[in-house]
Amino acid sequence: MSIEICGVGKRFGNFVALDNINLSIPTGELVALLGPSGCGKTTLLRIIAGMETPDGGHVKFAGEEATHLHARERNVGFVFQHYALFRHMSVFENVAFGLRVKPRGERPAENEIRRRVIDLLKLVQLDWLADRYPSQLSGGQRQRIALARALAVEPKVLLLDEPFGALDTKVRKELRRWLRRLHDEVHISSVFVTHDQEEALEVADRVVVMNHGRIEQIGTPDEVYSNPASPFVYQFLGNVNVFHSRVHGQWADVGGGENEEKASDTPDATPSGQAEKKGEALAFVRPHDIDIERSPVAGSIEATVQDVHAIGPIVRVELAHASELIEVEITRERAAGLNLVRGLAVWLKPRQVKVFNVAASQLEEGGSGI
Amino acid sequence: MSGQTTRLATAEPRWLRAVLMVVGLGFLFFFLALPLVAVFVEAFQGGMSAYVEALRHPETLSAIGLTVFIAVFVLPFNIAVGVAAAWAIAKFDFRGKSLLITLIDLPFAVSPVVVGLVFLLIFGAQGLFGPWLAAHDVKIVFALPGMIIVTLFITFPFVARELIPLMQAQGKDEEEAAISLGASAWQMFFRVTLPNIKWGLLYGVILANARAMGEFGAVSVVSGHIRGETNTLPLHVEILYNEYNAVGAFASASVLALLALVTLVAKTVVEWQMRRETVMLDTPLAPENVGQPSGTQP
Repeated sequence: MSIEICGVGKRFGNFVALDNINLSIPTGELVALLGPSGCGKTTLLRIIAGMETPDGGHVKFAGEEATHLHARERNVGFVFQHYALFRHMSVFENVAFGLRVKPRGERPAENEIRRRVIDLLKLVQLDWLADRYPSQLSGGQRQRIALARALAVEPKVLLLDEPFGALDTKVRKELRRWLRRLHDEVHISSVFVTHDQEEALEVADRVVVMNHGRIEQIGTPDEVYSNPASPFVYQFLGNVNVFHSRVHGQWADVGGGENEEKASDTPDATPSGQAEKKGEALAFVRPHDIDIERSPVAGSIEATVQDVHAIGPIVRVELAHASELIEVEITRERAAGLNLVRGLAVWLKPRQVKVFNVAASQLEEGGSGI
Repeated sequence: MSGQTTRLATAEPRWLRAVLMVVGLGFLFFFLALPLVAVFVEAFQGGMSAYVEALRHPETLSAIGLTVFIAVFVLPFNIAVGVAAAWAIAKFDFRGKSLLITLIDLPFAVSPVVVGLVFLLIFGAQGLFGPWLAAHDVKIVFALPGMIIVTLFITFPFVARELIPLMQAQGKDEEEAAISLGASAWQMFFRVTLPNIKWGLLYGVILANARAMGEFGAVSVVSGHIRGETNTLPLHVEILYNEYNAVGAFASASVLALLALVTLVAKTVVEWQMRRETVMLDTPLAPENVGQPSGTQP
């Protein structure tokens, strides 16, 4: 079932949680609402579920008006961050709940309920836990039971609020791949909220990046990562964004004269020389988009090696240019070839730069989000 | 030198521990155990038959009956209003919430005698609604309704006070989950909320019951002490005692003391149940295994 959100807004007192949100989610897609905490993503999810009422705007399910439909009539499955399993019921009864509370006419017979619950528990691979209580399960197991419980009522939409937020890293990674497989198997429209960009990029068909109650960008994981629409998206989706907001102020500064070509790499960029003079534009480069050279090349700037960290497959190099710190990630092989040592003078050349106009960029908002 | 340091680090000096223990236990003995024993000793002073005789006196029986009746009448109201108030406070945000919390505590803060007087002022013959009530031949003060009203007032906080922190701690996720799964409001309450708060609720009810049966001051003011009619057990004890009927007074008092003991036992059992449930909820964690084939697990 498709979901349509038109002009939805929500305030809590003076705080604007959502500001004129327009979003359409096609049938069968797995969509991630990504953003820092307080950006309104959970509020949006709860409005879709009917647990909050928007101040204005419309929510439509499959083209039909659902804005004022009660949560229990929306037929959505909701998975809570902290699972919200019924603590006094066994796993089996938790999953059966949605079937047992159906009106007498629609309620399946006891053996039918049993069959469906066991099927669902098999789907989440936890049928051997049917008689346990939620407290006897690990976090990952609880979350999968919560998912089975939500699926029991055969929802048309599945909504997940930070589904892996309370789990440790290893389990989180396994579980999100598992969720992706499950989604492909069950194939219902799903929306999940996350603040973890890696999670969103890995699992979702489409990513909706949100900040301060507004949608910054909607796109496939590849689009939002390689072609960010705003400085905020750029910073939020990179690993070392904070660095780069500073660093790229620096790039824009040094860009004058010798770096004409750099700015022209990016189609929507303000010409860098001009920008530099006015101090109005900022350039963004990801740490892995910078080459380190031992000798000057066209469009490069000089920097001094401050520190070299080998982190797994990559080597992270911290360099100083004037008073700015620049972070660069290169492969182990490249690092070995360069023979970098502290204090060495090298030349940096960016492969890919994105320049944003300062006025439009709201850099501080982006920076504070990290 | 080193010996001194060790002692400072581990515990108070032995003499201090001894003093504290004697003070604590002595207090318990003189103020709790001794009076309890005294009640039963006095009650049985005339022997078993005198004790039974005193309890079987029609006025005593009527006092016991009235006490039980008031408690049975008051508790359902207490449960309903207490749950409703706790629900509102724990699960919703609204203006005046802190005022409501303060008001719930009010009966604890006000002297019961004042409570009785307040209701006299409202419903008494010279009171606010007095003329209207007299005109319609409704008796509240110096009658059962007045006693029930003041008991309601006095016992109101117990259930709500017990439930508010419990419900706040539990949050409203489970209720929201129930609704999103299609449960109606009643189904949500009886299948999800009530099972989660049942021990806290029972605890509050036990305390409210003890207070309802034992309340003296407020009930005394509005009862009018009509023997065999508006005399509850605590009032009856006072009347008998003032008439120098020691055996009768202490026999009735022993019933109240028994009630206290039963309350203590029930309270302990409920506490033990609550603890057992939380322990059960917290202990055995199954190992984390995502995506492993089923059947390999115990």
